[in-house]
Amino acid sequence: MLEVDHVRKEFGSVRAVGDVHFRIEDGATFGLLGPNGAGKTTTMRMILGILTPDGGAIRWNGAAVTARSRRHFGYLPEERGIYGKLKVREQIAYFGKLHGMKEPAIGKRVAWWIERLGLGVYADRPCSELSKGNQQKVQVACAAVHQPQLLVLDEPFSGLDPVNAETLIAVLHELKAAGTTLVLSSHQMWQLEELCGEFVIIAGGANRAAGTLAELRSAWPTRVVRVAPASDELRAPFASVAGARPLARLDGTIEYEVPAATDFAALLKSLVAVAPVTRFEAIEPSLHEIYLHAIGETAA
Amino acid sequence: MIADIVTVFTAEFLRRVKSRAFMIGIVIGTLGIIFITKMPALLDKAFNGPNEIVLVGDRALLDRAAPLLAKSYTIEAELPPQAIDEATLRAHHASSAFVFTQHARSFSLEVYAHDPGAVEVPRINRMLMPLALQDALHADAARVKQLTTVPIAIKSLSSKFANSADANAARGIAYTLLFFLYMLILINSQLVMGSVAEEKTSRIAELLIASVDPSALLAGKILAGTVLAVLQMVIWIGVGTAFGSPAGGAAANASSDNIFSLAGILNVITPGVVIAFLAFFVIGLLQVSTIFAAFASLINRTEDLGSVTGPLLIPVVGAFFIAIAALGSPDAPFAVVASFVPLIAPFVMFSRIAVSNVPLWQFAGSLAINLAALYAIAIGAGKIYRVGMLLYGRAPKLSQVWAVLRS
Repeated sequence: MLEVDHVRKEFGSVRAVGDVHFRIEDGATFGLLGPNGAGKTTTMRMILGILTPDGGAIRWNGAAVTARSRRHFGYLPEERGIYGKLKVREQIAYFGKLHGMKEPAIGKRVAWWIERLGLGVYADRPCSELSKGNQQKVQVACAAVHQPQLLVLDEPFSGLDPVNAETLIAVLHELKAAGTTLVLSSHQMWQLEELCGEFVIIAGGANRAAGTLAELRSAWPTRVVRVAPASDELRAPFASVAGARPLARLDGTIEYEVPAATDFAALLKSLVAVAPVTRFEAIEPSLHEIYLHAIGETAA
Repeated sequence: MIADIVTVFTAEFLRRVKSRAFMIGIVIGTLGIIFITKMPALLDKAFNGPNEIVLVGDRALLDRAAPLLAKSYTIEAELPPQAIDEATLRAHHASSAFVFTQHARSFSLEVYAHDPGAVEVPRINRMLMPLALQDALHADAARVKQLTTVPIAIKSLSSKFANSADANAARGIAYTLLFFLYMLILINSQLVMGSVAEEKTSRIAELLIASVDPSALLAGKILAGTVLAVLQMVIWIGVGTAFGSPAGGAAANASSDNIFSLAGILNVITPGVVIAFLAFFVIGLLQVSTIFAAFASLINRTEDLGSVTGPLLIPVVGAFFIAIAALGSPDAPFAVVASFVPLIAPFVMFSRIAVSNVPLWQFAGSLAINLAALYAIAIGAGKIYRVGMLLYGRAPKLSQVWAVLRS
């Protein structure tokens, strides 16, 4: 289990992280969300022991992160690089060795990753000859070649085309199934919604919201109700719902933002009583909306 | 930690050995050494003209003249008196023919040459002067040598060398080794710097630092550079020794008349000097390359390497010149003081050890101070490297670097 216990990090007069805290169970997939400059990368670097927190603590399985425990961590940083002159196979093997792997295990793992990521054709070519997407796959293999217990991925999908993004998602599912704890940061909310069981949203170096998607949604104060057809009769029942607010729609439906505690069954019954209803949806907020709300922004 | 250093060392070593820069360095350096070892002979030939001659004249006279001329000329044949023409020279692959004629109390010489302008009359005169004196004085060679030699005795106040020839030879060899020291430290420190800059600018640094402790990364990289530098040095000195020619060296000693001749090196280089050279070479290289590596971690573009390298080179270049001066005045106060100062001492102390008897306490003191300085440099460089490798964007101010060092 990874515990990030109210960590703080400052660089001179700049406070990068003020108070970030969360806990990740073994084998979980965790989304670390926040706008640029929120402190995500600094938090990740502290988890990995690259930076030392100025306050708070980070514990892995109940103990402070040490060089020994770091051997079981993997990291794909947002700013990614590669040894251009090294061959793909050599590059992945080097990172395996840096994590304490030995032959013949390393050879087998390298071969497995090359095969799994579809890099067989390029295995013995210098990395500089690969496309950006394929270089990124090599970097993923470098980060995970040693079968880490904890894998931290900072914007893993940026720069990947949809096909390669799907490959990466499949690989992450496999790693999760094998018991690897995953920490992901991404601005692609739909991908995180698909992958992650829990989230923390940070902004200005501090927690803004945390929990499972269901927990985050349950804490959301409103829901959106979508009704068709768009007739005046069907608007009338919303007047009796306290706090209901009409939203603009142009697709032949009516949308209202209503309090989350609204009795949706009673509302549907009142709608059906005044006119025929062809569509009724009580829409849960998306992760994207929750994120924007948490960081205090609204979609343009 | 050790395993990480070994892994980084091995990877760095193999990467650098296979690199074009290393190969070019070895090839150009080796060619340079061969050129330097052969240069005296080539210069001698270029400036003194063709050396192949034939001697013509009475056997007795030629037997006396030949040893004197053989010091500067290659005698292709000794022929009885005869007319000389082009065919005679061509037949013996000679550029000129020295025709001797014996007289009552003297001899005369006619030189037949393809290029009369290349015949160095004063030089020939000087070489044959003892022979002329023997004839004029009716004296034997020993007597003439006695008459023409002023008895000068050089008494060495230093117990390091028995005579001036050995002292000159040692100075020549020390100068050469000092030049190697300078070149290898500069080349390899900049290679380490380039390697760090490559990892920083290619953005692989963060992935590396997440995988291995930055200190292990830095140590493996610098140790690989040091081993490669030693390898390079062994190749250069080996090639120099193998190609060392007996002609025109810096040393005057007959057995050590070339700075690269094995006999010459063994004659004046003691095991102590070899140990001192290796010790200060390794310490100097580690000090300089560690500093270079730390500062390379602060740059964002490889184009910025030049502006960082310039100021860092100043102490190295300064140390080299002080060390050269110390070869002439090894016990001068400035040389003694400089031989304790970190970054400068590796050059100056070696220089002093090569040509004088440095008291043991000075050697040990310098070694201790420089090892302590190396430790401090490693700690400071580790701090800068750890922060610098993650620092992108605006280059840090000196005050920020100082703050990191104090942290």
